[in-house]
Formats: sequence, structure tokens, C-alpha cells
Amino acid sequence: MYQWKAWHDSRARITLYILAALSGGILFGLNVIADANLHGYWAVLYAASRRRFLNYDFCMDLPFWMLDWVVRDCGQTAALLAGLSLGACSVGGEYGAGTMHFVLTRPDARRNFILTDWKVGLPAMVIIVGGLAFPLVPFLALVHAKGPGNILAGLPALWVLGAAVYGLSYFTTLAAGSAAKGLTLSVAVLLTFSFFPTALNEWWHSDTLLRATEWTLQAFKNNAWPLTSFEWGATAFWLAVAASFLGASLAWIRYREV
Amino acid sequence: MNDLAIHTEGLVKLFGKTRAVDGLDLKVPRGSVYGFLGRNGAGKTTTVKTLLGLLRPSAGAAQVLGFDIGRDLIAILERTGFVPENKMLFGSLTPAQIAHFNQGYFPKWSNELVARYANFFEIPMQTPFSKLSLGNKTKVCHLLALCQGADLLILDEPSIGLDPVITDLLLRVLVEDHVSEGKTVFLSSHQLAEVERIADWVGIIDKGKILLETRLEDVRQNYRLIRAAGDAAPAISSPDLMAVQSSENFRSYLVTRQADDFAAMLRAKGMTILEILPVSLEEVFLGLTRKEVPCISGKPGMIPAHA
Repeated sequence: MYQWKAWHDSRARITLYILAALSGGILFGLNVIADANLHGYWAVLYAASRRRFLNYDFCMDLPFWMLDWVVRDCGQTAALLAGLSLGACSVGGEYGAGTMHFVLTRPDARRNFILTDWKVGLPAMVIIVGGLAFPLVPFLALVHAKGPGNILAGLPALWVLGAAVYGLSYFTTLAAGSAAKGLTLSVAVLLTFSFFPTALNEWWHSDTLLRATEWTLQAFKNNAWPLTSFEWGATAFWLAVAASFLGASLAWIRYREV
Repeated sequence: MNDLAIHTEGLVKLFGKTRAVDGLDLKVPRGSVYGFLGRNGAGKTTTVKTLLGLLRPSAGAAQVLGFDIGRDLIAILERTGFVPENKMLFGSLTPAQIAHFNQGYFPKWSNELVARYANFFEIPMQTPFSKLSLGNKTKVCHLLALCQGADLLILDEPSIGLDPVITDLLLRVLVEDHVSEGKTVFLSSHQLAEVERIADWVGIIDKGKILLETRLEDVRQNYRLIRAAGDAAPAISSPDLMAVQSSENFRSYLVTRQADDFAAMLRAKGMTILEILPVSLEEVFLGLTRKEVPCISGKPGMIPAHA
């Protein structure tokens, strides 16, 4: 029953996010096509198809790079924002409305409340991030003879990153008792993760943490796709982070007082 | 089967160094209407939340309907209807949708009762909960608790926002539909008139401790206010003495039983007995919980004998 309620509460927000992601993907795709036209790529494409003597792949490098950027960099941003927002809004919505006591006095295991939130939130995040990438498929097919596979192969890594951020945002909100506090804590953790290793390296010349951090971000670097076995390791790391936050949330709700 | 619907022994709940509930011993008989009375901050809501697993006890033990609150919480929640103090439910859903949501959790849920009470309490079932008035929100909370087929109703400040007509209807429903079927009602409130109207047991809590737990009938039959005059105020120690009030011309003694014996003791100490009066629940409550501060006129009020 709580799943129905969770979807009922979040469907408008999730639909809006998905529409925004789809629109973004289409706009980026159209921009790439326009840019390619501006640079005469379509003439090259036409010549290549008729005369078969130009290096087709070489000529299409720029639009391909742009689409790669859209999926990877914008996808990362979408995963971060969707993860933060969805994670904080679900449980934070119950705190904010003062309904946590009502939810927790239903005769059901408390873990089901957490699992239901994740069952609704994670697919939404996956659809939102995918919503940005999938409208690009026809454009990718147009500008790259080998098809969109290489770029879209990076989507699972983005989804896993989104799941980890969702977990962080969800757990901090659950622990702090409000969406605003949870979001603040989550952003603080992300900023610390981003800047502390660099500061450590700059100030104390210790690069261990910096190298470890860079390793975890390998999957999102330029030309990292398709992922090698090493980068799958980094992706697995983020999956483990997401699972850890789920485990922490399940443990926390068991003892949570409201 | 345990004869007690709620039984706590030495229940303690600490918030930091504050003892919100301080060694609480409660015995709520099955099938009773139990008025759990106390001032603001006395520990009523903390006790209720602890019984329902929303707070974890710091010490002590508690059983609800024979189930331990630590081990068998789901069994307790399945059998307990709860109206919370803040009367907040899902704002985006209508009462009909909230009832549908709740139905999935309770096997004994009755849609017939939903229709009956919605009509009875005049609840707008298709208006989003967030747009309802406080009174209608309170009614929806009661509707949910009443329709789930609970063996125990725990109602925290049940009449907040309700007009006198609906309050009257609610009290009748509680007695006629619920208590008459052998179910238990636990009313946590400081609305003494409502409690006095339907309760058969009362417990008075202050500063986390139970000061009095007795049958209301016992209060009516045995508790007395003795007014006595005399030159000196004698030092009196008696287990029957609950509170003392001094005024310019006389002193009032609130005693729990054996009022005649107590009056005789006062006479023996040189006091003149002016009158012996029956007391209301309000007088007992005020006598037990009033702080040792002057009343508006600047004269001292009734002071608990235990203070």
C-alpha cells in the first residue's frame, strides 16, 4: 500500500523530471545536428556515401564528441540532481508533512517502508538519466556509422552513480529528520569528496586519497567508454556505496525515534 | 489471556538528562475506558509513543494487549487504533484514499463502518486532507482508528478541533460501538470533563510519574474535601491525605478515603470541621498537579501532599 502512496505523491514530480530530461536530450541532439550542418558535415556524409573515399569516422569526430559530452557530463549532472532530489524528497516528505508517526504505526516491518521508497525512487532516477540519453540515439545513429553503442554503454555507470547519490541523500535525510538538512549534509559530503583529496595533496603532499578518488571516477572520464575491466571495478565501487547506504538506512529505521 | 490491555513496570524514557517518563507503572484493565490525565509536558504523549514503538524505552518493561513492545510491535500495531496528537495524515490524499491505504494493513477493516462514520461525523471524503479544517482532520484520524477493528484504541488529545456536538457524538460512538464490545479505550487528555463523562478508570501523571491510578467510581464514592478552621495548622501525615490548601480562614484537605476518621484526627488536633464535600475529578487533578505557586489573588493554592 505504501508503494501506491509513494508513487501517488511523487508521480507529478517524477513526470516533470522525465519531461525535462527528454526535452534536454532532444534539444542537445538538435544542437548537434545544427552544429554538424554548420560545419558542413552533412556534405561530407553525402560525399562519403556516394564516393566512398573519405575517412568517414574522422569527419564525424566532432559531433560524436559532442554527443558523448551530452551523455556523460550532462548525464552525471542529471544523476547527481535526480539522486539528491529524489532521495531527499521521499522520506523528507513524510518528515515535512508530520506523517512519519502515521507511517511507522502501520503494522508492517519498518524495512518495507525504506525498501518501498527505494523501489519507487531508483527506477525514477534510472528513467530520468536515461531520458536525457535516449533521445540522442537517432542523432548518434545519424552522425556515427558505428552506431550509438559506445556512448550508451556508459549509462549503467551513470545509473550506479545516481543510485549512490540517491542513497547518500536518502540516508542523510532519514538520519537528520528533514529534507533540507539531509540535502545540506549530502552536498557537504559531495563537496568534501570532491575537494578534500586535492586539498590534502596540495597542503600535505599526500596523494593517496586523491588517487583513490580518481580511481572511483574513472568510469566518468573522457574516453572511458566502453568501460574496461578496471572501470567496471570503479562502477562496482559505486554500486557498493549505494548498497551500503541502503543497508545503513535499513539499520537506522529500525531504531529511529519520531 | 492477560487481563490488562496496557501494563508498564518502571517505564523510563530519557531525553538527554530529562526524565520525560520516570518509572511509570500503569495497569489499564481490558474493556475499560481509561483516562490518562496530565498537564502539558507531564509525559502523556511520550508514554503513548513509547507504547507504540515510536520511542524506545530507556528502562523498564511494557506490554500492550499482552505483547511486549520491544519484541511484538507489529502484533500490537495490528490490534491498536491510534489517534496521534498532531492529527496529520497524507496531505495529498483524500480521506477516502487514506481509508483505502489503511485498509491494506488491517485484516479486520470494515468499509461499512467507514461509510457509517463518514456520514455520522459529516466528513468530506473527497477533499484532500491538507485542505480540511482541523476539526475534520481530527475526525478522519478517528475514522481510521475506529474502522480497523482494533482491540485497543489509544487516543491522544482526541477532541482537538472538534465542536461540542461532534465531541458528544464521538464519546457516544466510543462507548456504544467500542467499549460495549469489550474493547479498551485509552484516552490521553487534559479535557477532564470528557474523561469524567466516559472513563471508568483514571491515571494522573505528572513529571513522568503516575500520581494516582484508580477507578473513577472510587473518586466519586470515597474522595472528600474537608474544610477545617483553627488557630494553628497542625502537621498531619496520613497516607489518605492527597493535598492541602490554605486560605485566610480555613484549610482544605483532599483525602482519598476514611474522610470521617481523618476529620476526627483534625478535631483531636484542635481544628473545627466546617464541611466535608464530595470532589470532582477536576478538583482531584488540580489538587495533585497544581504547582506550589500562589493563585491569582496571591494566596496559596492546593498543594499536593507529596510535594
